[in-house]
This record gives sequence, C-alpha cells and structure tokens, in this order.
Amino acid sequence: MNLSLPSWPASWGRQARSSATMAVAGSVLVLILWLMAIPLSWAPEPIGPNAADFAEGTRVTVQLTLVAGLAGVLIGFLAAMGKLSKVAALRWLAGVYIWVMRGTPLLVQVLFVYFALPSLVPSLQLSDFTSACVALALNVGAYNAEAIRSGLLAVHKGQMEAAKSLGMSNWHTFIDVTFPQAMKVALPSLVNNVVSLLKDSSLAYTIGVVELTNVGNRVQAATFQPMPTLVTTAIIYLVLTTVMTQISDAVERRYDVEGRQP
Amino acid sequence: MTQPLIRVDRVNKTFGTQHVLRDVSTHFNAGEVTVILGSSGSGKSTLLRMLNRLETHDSGRILLDNQEVGDDPRSLASLRRDVGMVFQQFNLFPHLTVLENVTLAPRRVHGTPRAAANAKAMELLKRVGMDAHAHKHPFALSGGQQQRVAIARALAMEPKVMLFDEPTSALDPEMVKEVLDVMKQLARSGMTMIIVTHEMGFAREVSDRVLFLHQGDIVQDRSPAEFFEQQDNPRIRAFLGQVAH
Repeated sequence: MNLSLPSWPASWGRQARSSATMAVAGSVLVLILWLMAIPLSWAPEPIGPNAADFAEGTRVTVQLTLVAGLAGVLIGFLAAMGKLSKVAALRWLAGVYIWVMRGTPLLVQVLFVYFALPSLVPSLQLSDFTSACVALALNVGAYNAEAIRSGLLAVHKGQMEAAKSLGMSNWHTFIDVTFPQAMKVALPSLVNNVVSLLKDSSLAYTIGVVELTNVGNRVQAATFQPMPTLVTTAIIYLVLTTVMTQISDAVERRYDVEGRQP
Repeated sequence: MTQPLIRVDRVNKTFGTQHVLRDVSTHFNAGEVTVILGSSGSGKSTLLRMLNRLETHDSGRILLDNQEVGDDPRSLASLRRDVGMVFQQFNLFPHLTVLENVTLAPRRVHGTPRAAANAKAMELLKRVGMDAHAHKHPFALSGGQQQRVAIARALAMEPKVMLFDEPTSALDPEMVKEVLDVMKQLARSGMTMIIVTHEMGFAREVSDRVLFLHQGDIVQDRSPAEFFEQQDNPRIRAFLGQVAH
C-alpha cells in the first residue's frame, strides 16, 4: 500500500523533497521510540499498565534491525565481491555461505548461534541479543549479497571501459562509477530485505530476547487477553515498517536522476 | 614527422578460433588524422582498442611514445592518460551530471581541485557547444549531445591522441553532423586522431590517411585522394559502392 504523506511544495527540487521526507520520517521514528510509552499508557487494560514494556520491546526490535541491517549490508557487500572475485577460493567460500544461509530456516540459525556455537567454540558464548544480531545479520547478508551482486552485474561493461580509458584506477572506477550505479539497482531489493529483517527479528524471541513479540506474548499470557495485546503488537510493527518504507522510498527517489518515479 | 607517436609491430590477435588481426604493422604520426575503414569483422575496432589496451594483443609489440603497451600497471596508467577514447555508445556516466562527467577523471587522476577542473570543463563544453547543458544528466540529452560531451570528457585529460570507435554509428542521421563538426574542429586544431568510421564524406574531407582492413590485414594505406579517387582494388571499390551515400 502506498501511504503518501502530504506532498512537499512543487517548487522544491527532487533532492530537496526526498531529503525532507527522509528527515521527517527519521525524526518520526526517533520520536516514536522515545515517547511511545506516553500514548500507550492512556490505552485501557491490558495495554496501558504495560506501556513501558511495549516501548522497551519496540526499542529492542529496532536495535536488532539496525545492528543486523547495517552489518548485513556490509556482509552482503563482501559476499557479493567474493562471488564476483577472480580468486576461485573466494568465489567458492561466498557461494557456500549464501547457499547455507538461504537454504536453512532462520529459526534454526538463531538457535544454532545461541546454543550450538558455544559448544563448538567455547569462547563464543554470546548474549541472547548478540546471538540474535549475529544470526540475523548473517541471514540477511546472504540475501543482500545476491541483490548487490545483481546490481554490480547490471552495470554496463562500457562504463568500466570508459573509466579505464580516462586513466582512472581500478579503485576509482569502482568507487565513482560501478558502485553507485550498482547500488541504485540493488536498493529496492536491499530495502525489501531490511523490512523483512524487521519482522524476522521477532524470532529472537525464541532465545529469550525481550523484543516486541516477546513483550506482546508475555502480556497476553499474563492477562489472558490475546486480542488487544497481539493487535497492539501488530500495529506497532506496521507503524515501524511504514516509517521505514517512507525513508527508503525517499532514498530511492533521491537517486532517481532520470525522474522515472512519479 | 621524424618519430611516429604510435608504432604497431607485427601484432596478432585471435578470439577463439578466429584470427582477427594477422601480423599487423603500422604507425601513427603526431598531428595526423587517420581513418580506419573495413567491413564488419575486419578487426578495425580490435586494432583501435588495443592502442589503449582495452583489448590485449597475443603477440607483437605496440609502442606509444617509445613506451611499450602492456600490463605493467604504472605504464598502463600513463598510457591511458595519454590516449583519449570516444565510444560508439557514448558511455557517459548516467549517475553524474555533464559537468561531473567531464571533471571526474581530472579530479581523480590528476588531483585537479574542483574549481579548476570545473573551469577547464566549462571551457571544453563551450568548445563542443554543450556549456548550456552542464548541469543536466546524460539521459536528458540527445545522442549527438551525449557524444559531444563524451568528446569533451576525453579531452579533459589532455590526451596526446584521440581514438574514435564508430562515434556516429549509434546516432540518428540528423545528429551525425553536429558530432562530425566537433571532430573536424578538433582535427583542425592539430589533434592526433585515429578514427574507425563509416562516414566516407568525413574520411575524404578530414583525414590525412586511410587504412583499409580486411580479415585482419591492412590491405591499403593511402592518402584519402588516392583511396577514394583512384581506387584500383575491385573489392574495396565494391565496399565503397555499398557504403556510399
């Protein structure tokens, strides 16, 4: 669904409008995280008395998403580079990583990092929050790798030839020519992956991270009122994904120099 | 001209089983405009692209200013700084404005400060008649305009020689002239140019020398007057008959 916020003055340029949307949506997100306990506390039983828990759970969910999302983009970039590398061993390594992470359930991966990894490497006894971040980042990284790889492959060979013929180094050719064009292609898929990640972060609940789903379930179990608690939980997720999509749409529009988007 | 700028010495190239260049030897003098003609698949683009190593040669030697064209990174970088190239498909950077397209390489390769690079770029854009479009993105320009920007972009690196790989082949007919006019003006300024083209009128008017390639061999190397007016080779006459307009 496309929930367009009131539009900016038509006299503003495309970049100004998208920057304004990003700034507003970003501030809205911060405000929600900071102040959401106040409106929630006005709600009737069983939400009102548990408003602070809902707010804290939401903050943890957003933290999980941001940490795993940022790490996931970095991992995805490295894996994409690995898959396109001239070195066969790197291609193989990246291929195996993507194959395993995409071919096994995220729930199993979360449980694996938390329970099985310490028995394999005792020093890797991670906290529940860290374990969830690691599993989510590795998982979304594999999907991001495919998105970034297809972005890199979509850049026309003539672009690299033009840059080289101008005497630009491989590094500058990549940074100034290939990468920006690849990211523009990869961006919609990356955004999709991060929105999925926000929802998938609810699986952290299984290893005891007190994030939004966990809070909702606890309140539901304690008050025997599943309807209002789960609806509240769902609405909070919906608000978060909506704000996130607004930000990412604005990012896409900002780089849409050809004005293809209305 | 005492010393040729570029020397090509018994160069061979195969793609799979196809022998695209056979023992090709020639040279290009500074200040000279050379047009390379030949039917499709004759190896003319391959020869051109070897001169700045977008294509490698299997054997033989290519020397530019007595520097061997090869894989050594340092000499390759200096080679490409000295050789500008204009492509059939323009290959402008779509995410950058016209001005950024022209200034990117000078800023990154020579470390030219932004203000100086911009000033130089505006001067070049004025020369190709594109200064009014400096802040547009390539998608907003016609093919002819894009190609003129591409020429300005190559010139911004102050190359010693400019290579043109079918610069007007992807253009609508009414835009060919504006690009050829810029190239003529460049030729008059004394730039060394090597041009693969099918524009016979341009070749006849502007070039100092015509090379004709057929199946990987340089079949003829003549002045344009001799090549076009006194052509005695029946195969080339047939070729000229087909492309003449």
